[in-house]
Amino acid sequence: MNRKLAPAYEQAQNLQLISPEKIELSNGTIIFWMRDVKDVSVKLDVEWNAGSKFQSKKLVASFANKLLLSGSENHTAKQIAEEVDFFGGYTQLEIDKDHAGCVIYGLTDNFKGIFNCFTKAFKNCEFPASEFAKQRDISLNKFKVESQKVKDLCRKTFTQNLYGPESSYGQVAEESDFHALQREDLQVYFKEFYAFAPILFLTGNVSDDMIDLIKSWALSFAPAPKVAFSQAFNQTKGRIVKEKKDALQAAIRIGRMMFDKNHKDYYHFQVLNTILGGYFGSRLMTNIREDKGYTYGIGSGMAVLQDAGYFFISTEVGADVKEKALEEIFIELDKLKNELVADDELTKVKNYMLGEFLRQADGPIAMMETFKNIYFNDLKDTYYSDFIQAIHACTSLDLKDLAERYFVKEEMLVVIAG
Amino acid sequence: MITFDEFHLENGLKVIFHKDVTTPMAIVNIIYNVGARDESEDRTGFAHLFEHLMFGGSKNIENFDAPLQLAGGECNAFTNNDITNYYDVLPAQNIETAFWLESDRMLELAFTPKSLEVQRNVVIEEFKQRYLNQPYGDVWLELRPLIYKTHPYKWATIGKNIEHIAEASLDDVKAFFFKHYSPQSATLVVGGNLEFEEVKKLSKKWFGDIPARDKYVRSIEKEPTQIEAREKTIERDVPSDAIYIAFRMCDRMSNEFYVADLVSDILGRGDSSRFYISLINDQKLFTQASAYVSGGWEDGLFIVSGHLMDGVEMNVAEQAIWKELEIISGEMIDARELVKVKNKFKTSKVFSEQPLLNRVMNIALFEQMGKLAEINHEIDKYDAVSQEAIIVFSKKTFLKTNASTLKILSKK
Repeated sequence: MNRKLAPAYEQAQNLQLISPEKIELSNGTIIFWMRDVKDVSVKLDVEWNAGSKFQSKKLVASFANKLLLSGSENHTAKQIAEEVDFFGGYTQLEIDKDHAGCVIYGLTDNFKGIFNCFTKAFKNCEFPASEFAKQRDISLNKFKVESQKVKDLCRKTFTQNLYGPESSYGQVAEESDFHALQREDLQVYFKEFYAFAPILFLTGNVSDDMIDLIKSWALSFAPAPKVAFSQAFNQTKGRIVKEKKDALQAAIRIGRMMFDKNHKDYYHFQVLNTILGGYFGSRLMTNIREDKGYTYGIGSGMAVLQDAGYFFISTEVGADVKEKALEEIFIELDKLKNELVADDELTKVKNYMLGEFLRQADGPIAMMETFKNIYFNDLKDTYYSDFIQAIHACTSLDLKDLAERYFVKEEMLVVIAG
Repeated sequence: MITFDEFHLENGLKVIFHKDVTTPMAIVNIIYNVGARDESEDRTGFAHLFEHLMFGGSKNIENFDAPLQLAGGECNAFTNNDITNYYDVLPAQNIETAFWLESDRMLELAFTPKSLEVQRNVVIEEFKQRYLNQPYGDVWLELRPLIYKTHPYKWATIGKNIEHIAEASLDDVKAFFFKHYSPQSATLVVGGNLEFEEVKKLSKKWFGDIPARDKYVRSIEKEPTQIEAREKTIERDVPSDAIYIAFRMCDRMSNEFYVADLVSDILGRGDSSRFYISLINDQKLFTQASAYVSGGWEDGLFIVSGHLMDGVEMNVAEQAIWKELEIISGEMIDARELVKVKNKFKTSKVFSEQPLLNRVMNIALFEQMGKLAEINHEIDKYDAVSQEAIIVFSKKTFLKTNASTLKILSKK
């Protein structure tokens, strides 16, 4: 046996994705149901068009979401929490810039009880003053803890300057916003954004009774109006430094506005990004962590929201090596513009990405997430198979061309906090 | 129900196979019976630093990651006070690549000076990022030496200080490898849609010729029973005052562990827990309060902690925590409250066993704890916890003389 010789391997095959069943109700509510689940787990994801971009005052959307199960005088938050817990349920309130909602976890034999607690609480939600005050204290404490981290300072500065101060996405909360917030703001927001039909994603082998129960709740909503929302962005270019005295590390974030997932360059840019900073063997990790030892981790990625997409590189490095690290990052970007990626590296990245698709779609919950990606980004049903074909077809010339067009130093926002 | 088959190679390596026909992925997981508890006191942080070096190339393979990525795989590892665990996740048809890579680094590392130099820096940056450059990041660096006086649990996995990592030499690395990374100290767990015979064949092929080497026999003296209240107060640049109380308790293998876990849920898990209702909601003394079991396998800990609401005096907050601990130690809990935490456990158990990786890792951990046969009895053990057991545990655990308290005052 020759240990120097790698065993034979094959490229990962195409993805076997299962799409959820679509149930459309008379009021326009859509329930996506993935029922082929081998165990007794149930996950229900309820989402509204109620993300933070819709708020006219900072923090309103997130507090309305956090307090969705805060109850009323007659059915208190304490009772709601106790009932959900008694059935063995978990609820997770979630919000991003576009959507907000609640994820409910349970088992097939107790899900009805958990769901009934949730719907009762939702129906009676009055944002009691005491719950509002408590949540403000809790959130403000968390906010203060986060604000001490260079990473947080860096991310906030990046967000503001990436989207621009006029945009909705570019809004960042400050301590004073917590004090300006009123309970009435939440009530108004709730009425305006949670009164309409949500979208439901159900993963679980539940009974027909359970489906009927979910349907009848979903039917109680008014049809959701078409979302009419637009915002203009104005990205800052160049360097912004945020000083933090005595910080041992500096956080760095570099990036620029990009396109969405329907853009013709999207698939190949994902290959380029993976090479640069998208996996452990990436160029940034290899150079800045594994060769120089400047950081515990560095990565790059692309984030796509409903109204905008952006590319970013993010790391925390020793305070004394931040300039050197920045220099190396731009050297890596230039290399991709000036030199063709070698065949063996390209093959490695392609194979890694094909394996990553399998990992990301492993199991029904993961498959529902891949489906949500298609749904919310308005992608074709063939998105994943097209993506895989595009990876196979991608050449080093394609990548060099992309790098030249998008890795333009003058277009980049560079934020350093530390 | 987690099913498995097992066998031993002649060199002492134990192999366990867990079949899962539902996933296209397979996992190769190797757990080594070495953690920060096996370090000497003047070379702390070494087990974890060593974990980093395991990715720096082996005797016959220059680079660990690249061939794995070429086969569509990815890998990671973690170290704690008790064990070090490595895993590779890749498409099932390429499983042999992981056997090849893992067996070569068990055979012998490359021991390059460059790898050591770079990983020392990487770990020092990890130390800064996770423990020093974060508010409350150094809590465990302070708390451990207060709780443990003799046992190696008195230092954190990352190490006592940065100097220990900076001083590690190549000779240290080699000695550590041959002492701890032998087949006799490891368990290989393979999961996926494979056949047991195939796993046997691959295990023999790649791991069979690795020398058994000397067996490491751990001999750590048990930490003496604590007999006095311990307390330390530190000032830090943090937004609010915080308190951490650590109580010594049973080891991980004990049946009492399950009682402790449920007590921690009753006190501190979720928005209907006692701490949330009493300390945050009703008395408004804290903005967060939690209870959880932690610590090493040999000598466990029950941790209670909280961030104080602005303007609340430390002694008032501390007394309120003790009041809750006295209640659970003195008053029989309601049957419904106990059913509640058991139900929550059952739900989380189902979800946590969904990913193949979690099942495979659990097999590895249970095997190392010496209780693999009990892996499917966890739910029964939680179910068996009685209302009386809650009182018995609380009474003997929540004593001032069994408590180590760390108070962090905010530098305003």
